Amino acid sequence: MTEILKTIGKAEIRKDAWQKAAGKALYTADIPVNNLKHGIVFRSPHHYARILEIDTTDALNMPGVLQVLTAEDIPGDKIFGPLVPDQPSLAQEVVRHLGEPVVLIIAESRKEALAAREKIQVTFEPLTPVFDPVLAAKPDTPQLHEDGNVITELNVQDGDIERGFEEADIVLEEVYHLPRISPGYMEPETSLAVWEQDNSITVWVSSQHPFTDQGFIAAALDLPVSSVRVKSSVIGGAFGGKEDSSLSILAALGAQAVKGAVKLVNNRRESFLAHPKRHPAQIKYKLGAKKDGSFTSLKVEAYLDTGAYSSYGPAVGMIFTETLTGSYKIPNVQVDTYVVYTNSPISGAMRGFGSPQSHFAVESMVDLMAEELEMDPIRLREKNILHPGDKIFTGVIINETANSLPICLKNVREIIQRFQAIKPSPGKKAGVGFALASQSMGLGANVPDDSTHRLEWAPDGRILIHLGSPDLGQGLATAAEQITAESLGIPFDQVVTLELDTLDSPNGNVTCASRMTYMAGNALIDASEKLIQQLLIHSSRILDVPVENLLYKNGQVIKPDGSKVPAVEFVSRLAEESIVLCSESTFSFPYPEDTTPQHLPIGMPHVLFCFGAQVARVEIDPELGTVDVTHFAAIHDVGKVISQAGVEGQIEGGVATGLGYALYETMLQKGDRWVDSFTEYLLPTAKDLPHHYENIILEVPEASGPYGAKGIGEITLVPTAPAIANAVYDAVGVRVTKLPITPERILGFAD
Amino acid sequence: MKPIEVIFTLNGKDTRVSSDPNRTLLEVLRNDLGLTGTKDACGGEGECGACTVILNGKPVNSCLLFIGQVMGQNITTIEGLSEKGDYHPIQKAFVEAGAVQCGYCTPGAVLASKALLDNNPRPSDQEISDGLSGNLCRCTGYKKMMDAIHLAAERHSND
Ligand code: FES
Ligand code: FES
Repeated sequence: MTEILKTIGKAEIRKDAWQKAAGKALYTADIPVNNLKHGIVFRSPHHYARILEIDTTDALNMPGVLQVLTAEDIPGDKIFGPLVPDQPSLAQEVVRHLGEPVVLIIAESRKEALAAREKIQVTFEPLTPVFDPVLAAKPDTPQLHEDGNVITELNVQDGDIERGFEEADIVLEEVYHLPRISPGYMEPETSLAVWEQDNSITVWVSSQHPFTDQGFIAAALDLPVSSVRVKSSVIGGAFGGKEDSSLSILAALGAQAVKGAVKLVNNRRESFLAHPKRHPAQIKYKLGAKKDGSFTSLKVEAYLDTGAYSSYGPAVGMIFTETLTGSYKIPNVQVDTYVVYTNSPISGAMRGFGSPQSHFAVESMVDLMAEELEMDPIRLREKNILHPGDKIFTGVIINETANSLPICLKNVREIIQRFQAIKPSPGKKAGVGFALASQSMGLGANVPDDSTHRLEWAPDGRILIHLGSPDLGQGLATAAEQITAESLGIPFDQVVTLELDTLDSPNGNVTCASRMTYMAGNALIDASEKLIQQLLIHSSRILDVPVENLLYKNGQVIKPDGSKVPAVEFVSRLAEESIVLCSESTFSFPYPEDTTPQHLPIGMPHVLFCFGAQVARVEIDPELGTVDVTHFAAIHDVGKVISQAGVEGQIEGGVATGLGYALYETMLQKGDRWVDSFTEYLLPTAKDLPHHYENIILEVPEASGPYGAKGIGEITLVPTAPAIANAVYDAVGVRVTKLPITPERILGFAD
Repeated sequence: MKPIEVIFTLNGKDTRVSSDPNRTLLEVLRNDLGLTGTKDACGGEGECGACTVILNGKPVNSCLLFIGQVMGQNITTIEGLSEKGDYHPIQKAFVEAGAVQCGYCTPGAVLASKALLDNNPRPSDQEISDGLSGNLCRCTGYKKMMDAIHLAAERHSND
């Protein structure tokens, strides 16, 4: 008999929402500290230049100024980088992008620090920047880093593409261009560092990876890791962009220099220039198919612009590469991906991690192919979708979760019929389009991916979760609480998540890669079982009953005579004996040896995937070229819903971000500067979202997931842009190959 | 610049601050008065709505108001909505409808919603999206915020 779930799947109210709605939640910038000093960063005014001299004398003499730091003043490592150490905390000798930090000023007030910044004198010798990744990849282009401009080259092939193209009846080729976009979290990067009297430091961060920050801070300050305590504050959104330690390293350096408390807050312009963005991509995509629709061959050559420093670029290149076949089986594939340094702002992790770029190419091309084949685009996809047991070009065998693909398409068919029946508004042209999507979960093979979390049974009966990975605002804590409550059979209200503090939290690893509910959930189920065992062992002693004669159910210990004792009675009694019931568990992302191909570089392949589809109806003003997304449906398989409101929130927010990618967002270069404010960089507002919106949530269980759950965070924005682009084509017959789909592109005034 | 004395009503209380006249209300609220519920997401450029407060019944961006401009005015911040420990119906609706994710935009969005509902107790979808269009949110896609406003409006009319 299957047990009825009590909290899993419910739209539980997240506990942090009350404080947030009351304006009382403390984000890093809100934390009150005595005697706080303020940091301001002097940033490069050049895209690329040699630093000839830095003169800080005048700045140091300004009122209120306490310290002025350059790279020379950094006691430890001057360079950091999550995958490749290539990024200076403060520039040395050369600056490689506009806005790169050069000097850090610490003053009594922010106003004084700003005034002192005006007095910093740096003599630069400007160099000729390179912005085009294709050009930068050429060997005769000036190289920005010692090891050359191509930081990662991935060449993956399977089968024989030439033969595949010969077998094809139609071969199509197109080049797709994807823009640089901002994660656009509302809380700009902020860090607060407090130097303690015992020469240790406490740093509050708004970060996806506090334990990684801890390591980088210790290295830069030349302190043992144990002297660096990192605390996670409430986080105002992250979306991948807060897998970057640059600001917390600077705040810590400042605090160490003044032996006090230092706050550093990026304003929005600094955030645009100096924090990681989504990689711009140029994708040459060539697909062959037979008359019956079956795909025969795929050749891709792609360039990803990682900007001045690598950040997570190499890893983004991998997921990008792996998702270039989308949700389809293609027997012959060759992919050459180049991740390239340029003098542009840094690109790194952002929700989707390469998959939004690849899918714009895949799903635009598949629609084009359907048209050339004169075939229904749903039928064409049905013919080529992956099924469990299929091997994709990386050698990975797709598991049962691919059973969701035909269900997605069935839903798409029904929705399209409905959307197509809607009459266009007067003077408008209407169109309907859709796209499928796949997104990997996990950090990739051979990358250590262990996630540890701890449970504690408090004397008052509540369960405390020492969550080892931060909740970025997406609701990880709520999912963790629901899973724990279900596993222990106690009410959701009785489970509380504590804020992450590297001093005593277990290391749950970075919150990213659509895998946190999966990782933490699995660890917490196991930790719950261990906690119950401990409770029974202690109750056995207290009751003097053999442990095997005791049972646990729903927060109660059941004695041999069937009578029940609430667990809290034992827990509070144990507290008097100074015994705390605690359990910890580590879940390691599974890469089964027999199904994980080993010939690929570290970080490849990913073996678990999520699938989904989205359908858009647009109305276009044929005179103005403006696109209005009027109707939208998002179909996503989550394996099992843990938190109903959380899952819906992830989907709705992802769709909005995908819509921004499709229609508005691009961090353009304008003359000598980059678009760096919300005045020019347009995020979708409440007015831009579809009036009619539907979520269709599928539950095809993932055998290795907690209660069958898999990831949802990233895939929600992956199909959005191609679905809208396909709808635009349906409406006005224009195939846009460059995002965003601006009126100029629709009207043919811009390429 | 010489500090000026500014007297205004803040969350129902007479408030007196002494400040440089060229500082914004946002800065004074956050730094002098410790009211950090009002946020800054765009760098004080009037583009995000995270710093929304209610000025004489209308939602305004506090980053665009110089402190001198609030002399004698009536200001409500997010802290003023739940002062007596009880959440305002709009705060409740936001929480219960799942409209709060990271929460950074929430104080501003709640206040914009309050101003909207105070003037228009049963707004249409269109009126709600117009009313929220100055408040950026990257997390929610606005859907649950719209649901929250409908919920608050319905509850109010059932009272
Ligand atoms: S801080 Fe963005 S509008 Fe005021
Ligand atoms: S809830 Fe995060 S920005 Fe709105």
